[in-house]
Amino acid sequence: MSGRVLVVDDEMEIRRALRTGLGGHGFEVEAVSGGAEALAAATARKHDLVLLDLGLPDIDGFTVLTRLRERSRAPVIVLSVMADERDKVRALDLGADDYLVKPFGLDELLARIRAVLRRQASVASGDAVVRVGELAIDLGRRLVTVDGRAIHLTPTEYELLRYLAIHAGKLVTHTILLREVWGAYAVGESQNTRYVVAQIRRKLGDDPARPRFIATEPGVGYRLRVDPDPAEHPNKIHTPG
Amino acid sequence: MDATARKAAPFLFALAGVAAITVLIGIVRTRYAVADLSMVYLLLVLWLGARHGVLPAVVAGVAAFVAYDYFMVPPYGTLLVQGPNELLGLVLLLAAALVTGQLAASLREASARSSAVAEEATALYELATGALRQPDVAQAIALLCERARALPSVRAFSLVAVESAAAVVAGGDPLPADTLRRAEWSFGKQTSVGGSIGVAGIELVRIASDRPQPLLLPLAAGVAVIDLDASRADRRQRRLLAALLSLGSLLLDRRMAAFQARRASDLEESDRLKAAVLSSVSHELKSPLAALRTGLTALTGEAAGLDSEHLELVQGLDREASRLDRLVGELLTMSRLESGQALELEARSFPELAGAVLDRLAPQLADRRLALHLAEDLPAVMIDELQVDRLLSNLLDNALHFSPSGGRVEVGARVEGDRLLAWVENDGPMIPAAEMASVFDKFWTGRTTGTGLGLAIARLIVERHGGEIEVRNRRSGPRFQFTLPLAAVESARR
Repeated sequence: MSGRVLVVDDEMEIRRALRTGLGGHGFEVEAVSGGAEALAAATARKHDLVLLDLGLPDIDGFTVLTRLRERSRAPVIVLSVMADERDKVRALDLGADDYLVKPFGLDELLARIRAVLRRQASVASGDAVVRVGELAIDLGRRLVTVDGRAIHLTPTEYELLRYLAIHAGKLVTHTILLREVWGAYAVGESQNTRYVVAQIRRKLGDDPARPRFIATEPGVGYRLRVDPDPAEHPNKIHTPG
Repeated sequence: MDATARKAAPFLFALAGVAAITVLIGIVRTRYAVADLSMVYLLLVLWLGARHGVLPAVVAGVAAFVAYDYFMVPPYGTLLVQGPNELLGLVLLLAAALVTGQLAASLREASARSSAVAEEATALYELATGALRQPDVAQAIALLCERARALPSVRAFSLVAVESAAAVVAGGDPLPADTLRRAEWSFGKQTSVGGSIGVAGIELVRIASDRPQPLLLPLAAGVAVIDLDASRADRRQRRLLAALLSLGSLLLDRRMAAFQARRASDLEESDRLKAAVLSSVSHELKSPLAALRTGLTALTGEAAGLDSEHLELVQGLDREASRLDRLVGELLTMSRLESGQALELEARSFPELAGAVLDRLAPQLADRRLALHLAEDLPAVMIDELQVDRLLSNLLDNALHFSPSGGRVEVGARVEGDRLLAWVENDGPMIPAAEMASVFDKFWTGRTTGTGLGLAIARLIVERHGGEIEVRNRRSGPRFQFTLPLAAVESARR
């Protein structure tokens, strides 16, 4: 893998470790220690990914996130020592692509980076059909099938599933689903999304206790699963012979 | 003027008045032919009754009767009466004088009484408004106690406040410890001793005792302790005392409210402080751990080029750093739960939550046989989903640790009564009977790598939800089971 990564963290040891660790995996790392520097760097150069720590000395991390979103389309993974779900939800609502609680291992971070970059690539290519196992969502023809069998969804159910599908693999918050599916003024009632997701799961034959298609993130939202990338687990592919 | 003279004056007025009127009538009768002028005496009687009471009025009435008979009724100069007409006139005069005097006197008494009541009411009103306007409750209570002690029959008066179950003197005379204890008892039982507060005032119960005990009267937020001289406590004083006590009750209420507000703000302050310390400790401990783990895991990459021995060393260090991180996290969770952080209760689907936790633990569960007993139509539970998420994670973490590779892990739930009974089971070794009771204790751990907090946190979470948790050895292995409250039917929509 390769790409330019902007690391924003006030801890020198973390910047150094990430430069070494990510550099060893083929990334070109630019590391800065504050929000102002980060915004300047994002304006001056184009990055493929931003790793943003929320606890910055100069500008509040959420503000930096908002301003980064205004000037760059590069995906942002938020890194924070705050394990509070409210911070997670807020960061995702402000447009973060993922949220990783510190401390983390480098392998965990690499897996998240791969997922985010892959998602970015698939959105860019504009795949018309999103597939998860036996589930296929044909965005062009508004057709949902499981194992080739067509599933009838109500317009609301389809809209919610469509939004998860075009962001397949990404954790989508209740707030965002409400805004995207019901409209801006429907914000605030997560029982709506819970109810609709339960209906979709029932129609798709997805057991919530063993979700194959839609995963729940308690307190945050939902994520449409993606098929594991064979390239990520080369040791799990057994070739006969 | 001394007291005797003051007492005699009305009677002198009566006699002098009768004499003057008699002279006046005599003069008038010599000039004009007026048949009967005896009613003029009545004016005097009326005035005396209204001004000085019934006795001077009666004296004046009798004197008028005698004088009129002697001077105006023929034969003049004697007390004899000539005929029935004159006799009737005289008797009427006497009767009218007596009745008038009586009436006037009772009117006077009534007006005196009502003005006394009005005076009392005004005094009470002034005391009440003064006390209630007083910003310092203690000052207001002192004012009231002073007023009560000024009553002639009150030997000692105290208001006792009962705050957080301990009695303290809020105002008035100091009390010995045993009286305070009795006051506390009286408040706790809401039982008065030696009397009670009735509609018309304080009603006393006479107790024959060589050592008279003070009166104990429980109020809304305290007790009134009164040493009352029963022989001197007339109705007026007892009524006044009752009125003072109802005001005292209000003031004790206010004192209690002020006390609670102060305590609530103290608690809030200490909670805020605790949360601030926790959050700061969390940040201070986690940041260096984050640097450690990022650095150590960067070293395990191929690019770092460590040989296998060094690689193992670095991986071991990372495991220790992870463990330290887990311990810090669990200590924080524990103290947050113990500091009573409020739960965010909402109706949630238990199978969906369990599915999310199992999904997250999928890598660790990959080589275990997972058995699920989670019917999709289980009713919703009323829970803080993030806390129950942690509860399930901790129990599964425990089950994963004790079950062998290839072993069986079971998660299930069913409705039992008005609760959900859920369990996490593994096929690892049985828990020795002697340890069954202590597995949920803080820092108990059956493994070398554990923090000893996972199960203690699990128990705290279940208890905060009003449920119970226990461990049972089943034939298949140890089962941790717990209960959670079901959501009300109308909010059970999933």
